[in-house]
Amino acid sequence: MKLVVGSWQLAVGRWQSTVGNIKKNILFLCDLCASVRKKNFVGLLSSLLCGTFAMSAQAESRFPQPQFDTGHVVPEAYHPSVTAVVSEGTDVALLFVALCVATWLVHRVRSRFWILAFSLLCLVWFGFVRQGCFCPIGAIQNVAVAAWQGGGLAWGIAAFFALPLLFALLFGRVFCSAVCPLGALQDLFIVRPLRVPRTVNAVLRLIPLIVLLFGVVYTLNGAGYLICRTDPFVGLFRRSAPLPLLLTGMAVLLLGMVIARPYCRYFCPYAVLLEVCSRLAWEPIKITKATCINCRLCVGVCPVEAVEIPREIPSASTRAGRFRLFVRLLLLAPVLVIALTCGGWLAGGTLLAPAHPVVKTYEAMVQYTPETEALYPAVEAAKKQKLTRELLEVQAREITQRFRVGSAVAGGILGLIIALRILGLSQLRRRAEHEANRTNCIACGRCYPACPKNVKTIQ
Amino acid sequence: MTGSKSPPTRRNLLSWLLRAGTGSVVAALVYRASGFHRSGRMVWQLDPRKCIQCGKCETACVLQPSAVKCTHGYAMCGYCKLCFGFFKPDAPRLDEAAENQICPTGAIARKFIEAPYFEYSIKEPLCTGCGLCVKSCANFGNGSLYLQVRHDRCKNCNTCRIAELCPAQAFVRVPEESPYLLKEKL
Repeated sequence: MKLVVGSWQLAVGRWQSTVGNIKKNILFLCDLCASVRKKNFVGLLSSLLCGTFAMSAQAESRFPQPQFDTGHVVPEAYHPSVTAVVSEGTDVALLFVALCVATWLVHRVRSRFWILAFSLLCLVWFGFVRQGCFCPIGAIQNVAVAAWQGGGLAWGIAAFFALPLLFALLFGRVFCSAVCPLGALQDLFIVRPLRVPRTVNAVLRLIPLIVLLFGVVYTLNGAGYLICRTDPFVGLFRRSAPLPLLLTGMAVLLLGMVIARPYCRYFCPYAVLLEVCSRLAWEPIKITKATCINCRLCVGVCPVEAVEIPREIPSASTRAGRFRLFVRLLLLAPVLVIALTCGGWLAGGTLLAPAHPVVKTYEAMVQYTPETEALYPAVEAAKKQKLTRELLEVQAREITQRFRVGSAVAGGILGLIIALRILGLSQLRRRAEHEANRTNCIACGRCYPACPKNVKTIQ
Repeated sequence: MTGSKSPPTRRNLLSWLLRAGTGSVVAALVYRASGFHRSGRMVWQLDPRKCIQCGKCETACVLQPSAVKCTHGYAMCGYCKLCFGFFKPDAPRLDEAAENQICPTGAIARKFIEAPYFEYSIKEPLCTGCGLCVKSCANFGNGSLYLQVRHDRCKNCNTCRIAELCPAQAFVRVPEESPYLLKEKL
């Protein structure tokens, strides 16, 4: 009884100081009324006590923690620590071992069966066990961000980015052949690969470049990791994903039945870097180590059309024609670069910048009306963080400008690379044998058993 | 390997120079990015000071149910009998019946300690991270309930899907060694 009186006195005494906190007091009174109505006197007592604390509360802690008479100890919540499947060092070591084994299989064992078997192993480990993160494709962005800021990258991610490139520089795209889980998964779905017409192929092969250049601009400007966001298979590896992501992954796999490895060839930004390294490979992929008899059997089995057929140096008149074309293309190159720089500037402002969260928040604030508050949670968040519309406008404008400049640079580089690729068409060198194209060959090993010279060596 | 057998021609030398050049570009990029300081892995966490409990954590995560769950900072809790994180504002009765609870999955346990105090704890397997209790506790109570990325579940995606959609930009990367931003300790 004494306690009740005491708490009343406290409550009345502190009433004045907390009149402003109406909402809470109303709730307290409701509780009080409910208790009285239900003749729940223990409840009445407790809500009085609760209310006492409520009224004496500050903004930070409305209800101070009670002193327990029973000596109850306030527990501490359990927070599980990070459950890494393996340590970072093991991850990198396994990648290195996998690359070494893939190199050995591609260059020494030269067996499609064992390449396939090893790719399945890597699919299970890097895909379904490690669940796809982190991977060299996504690591492009981490490396770009850290290199821009001048440090701060975990060494494991740096190793994941660099190792496959260094292996490509020495032995060709052995990473694509058996180690990459995305490649291994798509390789399983190749049923009847169609020939992609040369021009269509050339145009589609610009997509990875665009994804790489603009993805890096997107990431450097702080709008998020675009390249990871466009990975269609991560949902399959996790076996848990929002439905659109799962459906996209399955659609890409189904497309892969007729167009071999669609993601690798026409989307993967890391393949662009691998191609550059693989072009310079010390030990490129060879269809056969023996002398080629030009039987053309390898051409039909290559799913990615990477077999180059023999070619003679054309006649003098053709070469003169080629030279004229070359000069015209050289004149065209600056036009292409300037046009794509302007295009990049426009695309940066209109397409990329609106994806940045600050720009998004600012645009939400512009469209916001009190009636539609529920549609714009970002406005509520901005208010909580005391961001005014003027402040956001300045920031949004600055970010949009950064996007424009970045995209213009990316567009310029894209134009330069396209010009170089076109110029590369006029370069003609004699080729006596069927050869694996250094950039396009993914070292899947399908041509090894198809080549009669290889079969003979086995016998 | 066999490739090095070819005679030392100009073309051969040039290709080695190009190879070394590309290799050093990759190495320089990695060197600049990592600074050769051994820095550990970073993991995602939700900053409860920025969170506005919009409910995206429940639906945006690549995992279903989400890796974000409610956690209770007991040190901040007032142990109220009328807990605003536990009861619906229009609860017909103040008891543990499901219709009175704010949590749609009944993931908050309420335990009597001594008159008039009750202790609330989260039954994590049931929590979906919707943040309804968090919002109510923040608005009317001490705000001792808050959302956190649970690291026994989080896959630590390179880019967090919730972070992309979070209107408050409350998702940050924190070092692996201290992976939580506990409101009672901030």
